[in-house]
Amino acid sequence: MDINLNDLLRKYKSHPYEDHQIKVPHTGTVRLHVKEGQDVTGPSGQWRHRPGTLLYVLEREGNPKRMTSKYTGTVAELRTELEGCFVQAGEPVMVIRHRLNKEEIIDRILREVLYVYAAPQRARYFFTPEVAVAIDKDRAKAFNIRPGDEVLIMSLMKRDSLLAYDGPEGVLYKVYFKHGDLIEQGAPLLGICAPDRLPFVEKVIQRIRTEWDD
Amino acid sequence: MQASQQIYSSPKKTATIFLKNIVKRDKIIIANRGEIAIRIMRACRQLGLDYVVVYTEEDRCSGHVRAATVEKGEDAAFKISNYKDPNEIFSVADHCGATAIHPGYGFFSEDFRFARRATVRNRPISFIGPRWEVIRDLGSKINTKRIAKFLDIPVIPGSDEPIYSEIEAEALAEELFQKQREEGIKRPSILVKASAGGGGMGIEEVTHLDVFRQVYRRIQNYAKRQFGDEGVLIEQCMKDYHHLEVQLLCSRHKEVVHFGTRNCTIQSTGRQKRVEVAPGFDPEYVHYPFDAAKVLDEIVDYSIRLAKEVEYDNVGTWEWIVTRDGKPYLLEVNTRIQVENEISACISRISRQKGPVNLIKEQIRTALGEKLRYSQKHITFEGTSIELRIVAEDVKRGFAPWCGTITRFEFPQEPWLRVYTHVPHDEPYEIPTEYDPNLALAIVWGQDTEEAKIRAKDFLTRTRIEGEDSLGKPIVTNLAYLKQKVDDVLRFL
Amino acid sequence: MDQKRILDSGKYLNEFADRINYLADIKGGLEWGSLKELLQRVQNLRSNMFDLREDELFVELDQIDRRLEYMEDLVAQDLSPIEVVNIVRSPQRFTLQDILENCYDSFTELGGEGECNIDPAVVVARATITRRVKNKIYYHQVMVIGHEKGYGEEFRNGGCAKPWGNEKALRYMKVAETEGIPIHSYIFTPGAYPIEDYPGAAQQIARNLFQMARLRVPVVAFISEGGSGGAEAIGLADIRLMASRGYYSVISPEGAAAIEGRIKEGGKVPRELVEHCAAQLKMTAEDNLKLKTIDRIIQEPPLGARRNNFGFFKQLRYEMVRATDEVVLQTKSFRAFRSYALKRQGKEKDNGRTFNDEFDIHIKWSLTESEKKRLVELRSRKYRALGKGYKELRQSVLSRLGHAVESVKQNYYDIRYGLLRQHSRQVQKLIEEVSSEGSVFLKTVTEPVREAYDFVFPKPKVANGINQYDPLRKSIFMQEWEQYISPLANEDKTVSCPNAEKYGCKDLWVPDLYGEFSGVCPTCGHHFPLEYQWYLENLFDPGSVREFNQHIISANPLKFQGFDEKLKKAVEHTGRRSAIITFDASVFDIKIVVAMLYSDFRSGTVGSAEGEKFIRACDRARTTRRPFLAYIHTTGGIRIHEGTLGVIQMPRCTLVVREYIDSGGLYIVVYDNNSYAGPVASFLGCSPYQVGIRSSRIGFAGPRVIRETTGADVPPDYHSAKNALKRGHIQGIWDRREFRKNLFEALMTMGGPHLYYK
Repeated sequence: MDINLNDLLRKYKSHPYEDHQIKVPHTGTVRLHVKEGQDVTGPSGQWRHRPGTLLYVLEREGNPKRMTSKYTGTVAELRTELEGCFVQAGEPVMVIRHRLNKEEIIDRILREVLYVYAAPQRARYFFTPEVAVAIDKDRAKAFNIRPGDEVLIMSLMKRDSLLAYDGPEGVLYKVYFKHGDLIEQGAPLLGICAPDRLPFVEKVIQRIRTEWDD
Repeated sequence: MQASQQIYSSPKKTATIFLKNIVKRDKIIIANRGEIAIRIMRACRQLGLDYVVVYTEEDRCSGHVRAATVEKGEDAAFKISNYKDPNEIFSVADHCGATAIHPGYGFFSEDFRFARRATVRNRPISFIGPRWEVIRDLGSKINTKRIAKFLDIPVIPGSDEPIYSEIEAEALAEELFQKQREEGIKRPSILVKASAGGGGMGIEEVTHLDVFRQVYRRIQNYAKRQFGDEGVLIEQCMKDYHHLEVQLLCSRHKEVVHFGTRNCTIQSTGRQKRVEVAPGFDPEYVHYPFDAAKVLDEIVDYSIRLAKEVEYDNVGTWEWIVTRDGKPYLLEVNTRIQVENEISACISRISRQKGPVNLIKEQIRTALGEKLRYSQKHITFEGTSIELRIVAEDVKRGFAPWCGTITRFEFPQEPWLRVYTHVPHDEPYEIPTEYDPNLALAIVWGQDTEEAKIRAKDFLTRTRIEGEDSLGKPIVTNLAYLKQKVDDVLRFL
Repeated sequence: MDQKRILDSGKYLNEFADRINYLADIKGGLEWGSLKELLQRVQNLRSNMFDLREDELFVELDQIDRRLEYMEDLVAQDLSPIEVVNIVRSPQRFTLQDILENCYDSFTELGGEGECNIDPAVVVARATITRRVKNKIYYHQVMVIGHEKGYGEEFRNGGCAKPWGNEKALRYMKVAETEGIPIHSYIFTPGAYPIEDYPGAAQQIARNLFQMARLRVPVVAFISEGGSGGAEAIGLADIRLMASRGYYSVISPEGAAAIEGRIKEGGKVPRELVEHCAAQLKMTAEDNLKLKTIDRIIQEPPLGARRNNFGFFKQLRYEMVRATDEVVLQTKSFRAFRSYALKRQGKEKDNGRTFNDEFDIHIKWSLTESEKKRLVELRSRKYRALGKGYKELRQSVLSRLGHAVESVKQNYYDIRYGLLRQHSRQVQKLIEEVSSEGSVFLKTVTEPVREAYDFVFPKPKVANGINQYDPLRKSIFMQEWEQYISPLANEDKTVSCPNAEKYGCKDLWVPDLYGEFSGVCPTCGHHFPLEYQWYLENLFDPGSVREFNQHIISANPLKFQGFDEKLKKAVEHTGRRSAIITFDASVFDIKIVVAMLYSDFRSGTVGSAEGEKFIRACDRARTTRRPFLAYIHTTGGIRIHEGTLGVIQMPRCTLVVREYIDSGGLYIVVYDNNSYAGPVASFLGCSPYQVGIRSSRIGFAGPRVIRETTGADVPPDYHSAKNALKRGHIQGIWDRREFRKNLFEALMTMGGPHLYYK
């Protein structure tokens, strides 16, 4: 196979972090609840139903909203000057530096191993209802996908259109988008693995599992 | 309980609106985007009012943001998450000390809850539009129809409240068919609609009484399933008609004037207006099989009658259907400023007042409690005005929206022409996929209809739009379609 | 001989160790007294047994024995309630298996055996029990049903019955009924296993109670460990016996302490608080006898019976036979019963604590049809008389007059429905046409929906003032402003919908949300809780609500420390005197009786006053032949501060509901917000027609209790109405905004021609 797993692993080992910029979702007054360098945790529990660490409170129209961390990591680039200020939508508040764990490393490396079906347009994407049901029903079971299959719905300018898959045939290995999210053009949507490459992919995963220490 | 009623009616607050004379202290928050935001900004400028605009991430390159920041500085534009989130608008309004909200059209313009909240909140903000009660009452087609019937204003024949009994429904259907036959309508038909529905869902046409029962049951079941209410509306299916509008302006001081009529018959398949013309009919330009001037007078009179009854107090458009034999029927009332308001302004002259009429300016003035300072007798009309809506859409493919980046956008400058666009001329512009791909609005004026038509076509010929989509394919616009449709204005085809 | 004694001493040492451990169980550890040191001595002795001289060994054994005896006496002299609980929980205590082996002569386990069982925590056996009458032996066939805690076997689940275990119990109760043999029910449970899997803990207990209310065979129950709802599942009996060292309680002392002390999950509950709660809950046999929640106490040895206390089993057998005799005799004639009961008293006097297990006569346990009927009637009477821990305010003359009117009314309904039913149908038809209940049904099918519509969009009303004749002055929306508006709407602020992340719901402006939107998120349909007054104003015909029995008020029958203040606070907070409101009302002109549990008063918990008011409302619905609606705004379960007086409301109310339904009543239960525990597991869960309001939660135990009991976490939507519907607990989910319309439709669809079946 043409990827150099050693190089990739070395790359991630030298910098096993991913930075997530935390932006306010809407306007309002910010009250910070964390300090620079503080460790925070993401949602927990079997159903991820316990919210993560409280990062800041955003108050708008008498509604103080508790914004909790979606990631586990360390607070960086905290903008303390925003404390108590009115901010506009999308204002960055801090960065959460997240240390990638084994599963995430596997995920990142797989992106380079799998055939990645990318968003053809900046649009909202959905699975077709039948596919959504099929995937939901049995996550463990492999979902086969062939060229010409209408698997996705692209919602653009209030109009929905069916997308015919045009990559190689294979097993749907990974779903990279959240149902109905606005996806930038070129961002990965699906990760597909050709059936004959499945053993290779398993091998890659196996190797990362043994070589990566959290 | 008493306290909660208090929050819904605040006589004191209304009083302050009436007493206010110096409008200049007001600061307007413009809760809209694109060309209407730009037109509202212009009106504010003319009135000497301060303003702020809002925009979303997708619209950061939009012309309205640029114009606002160029004129007023960085603090005049606020980024919000969504134009449709009222909380964002009020949050910004409070932060920047806005005292009035202009909703433009679409978004909150006909949302009585938004208007109500603006009026009754702890820090009240004037809503630039009619009173919320009026928005609510005329926002319901059924209610409007009921009031119109009471005032002997013609409405489309049919039920003015939901029907629940099959026998009652069948009797009404029979009556409607009989009436159409008596009127000599060759292929009579009726529409069966789910009362709780809207937007074209749950509507079926019935052309024979025999199949009525079947259709009725189908719609009833649909309505019950979909909306949990099996009420059904039945009305005559109108075909072969012109879509007319009456432009009214009313003040908070019970003053009512009109700015004539418009004809908005030319629409895309999705019932989107594309070419509008004022006045509504032009008997000097084309012959009508009925007394067109009289019909126009009638619909204006009817509209005013209804406006006075409900104590209408801002700009509003009364939508009418006029059939080929000259019968008018009231369709609905739009309690907001409309895109095409300016063609009415364009053919109107107010004596003793300098400069062209600006209805948005008048709307803001009246909403802030000013008197009109003129009456109907001071308003005269002159010439014909045509509005062209330039949209990036593929007319041949069912008006499918196009998206991509515009690299060149040029149009001629003429004294008889006004173009509104949020698309910048000097840099490429990516059409946001979240909104309709409207590019520009052109308003053409001519001494008469013939001249207006020639000028409109001239404008369309000289306009240049270039761009390409993500696959490198060139832009698709409706320029050719508009050019072809200009010939159809004001005619029954 | 001596060699044998030395070998026996090994046995003694084992026995000593058991006794020391038992004392440690009771006292909560070896720290008490010198138990640890004593145990050390026993262990030392065991290892040095053969090194010691014989006489030294015997002296030491004797010393330990005497020391132990002394300590046992000391413990027995002053047993605290928590120590009684410890006795019950000791692995050395007797179990159902011991009873089956020692009290019955032969038995066959039904519906599974040992580990191979649908639920090893519930044992059912067909057994024979014998009685000696003058050296002659008579055999009785009985159905034994009970909990098996086992001796530490994991699979017994500590005697916590799963829903299907209780279902098994019910199945064999019906077998016993078919065969006409009495049921002996043995309660050894800390509580039901709190899972919602089909059919659900609460639903199954409710079904059991509903059936037991009218089971046509004698039922005798014996309680060793009576853990609240789990105990009731097999505990609705004609006679309830209780072991003298057993406990019968609404909640475990630890559970009560966690609630009383507001202990956070996983936090340590102070031991003193647990002991305090154990005492406050009045859970011992003596307490329960005083509260009349049991009929009789079976004496155990002072420190409780263990599996080798054969004397106790002998007595238990006698008492079970005796109690069954009494139940049977009561159905035959009062005199026979009296003389039998008197004889027993005489015997006890004569024999003191040593007793004779011989009977004077043989009594057959089969019943005739009329005796079965009487059995069920007596059971009804028994339970109706129980659990009266409420207070009655003195009624004013006016309301007493109302009472008189009530009784006249009852006569009217008795005549109208009782006598007329016997007469020809034609007369009845005539009545139907003139009475409102009848005429409602005569209207066409389309009429109801129309009426419903007219309510929502009424024809414009005539307004006051100048424009008196102008219908336009009032918009068609006028109604919504005339209606009741929640006080929650009176604030200029916004709130977030809990589903915002999932459905993108925008923040809701509170005056809109609680006004026009009726507390429903317009985007996702999530129902925000609304105060009960909203329902009083919006659900029923305007002005039709007439409350009754306001004079029955919640009290503190157990004198639970600190509860008087809490009660006072609830009264001040709500202006009401109990957690239930019972009233007459009408829905689109259909007259109904309503019982409404609401959250503001002690979280809608059910105690004696609530039970009594519920029963009176249900009886009122029966006598006036009206549909009965239980609208549960919220219920947090049985009120722990009333102990078993609260628990007893479960069988009590279920029994009355059963009588109402059997007489032809239409009983509809609607759950809103949160409905949990005892009430759901009895008089609510037994309804054939249960409905949930959207966003409500329905279940047996909350997530915390489930986690603490089962050790497993449950998904956040475990108790959601949607899941309750999936499991078949409820029949449908109603939107709050359509509650009124749906209720009307339900009454029309499920009700008979008179909205009452018979």
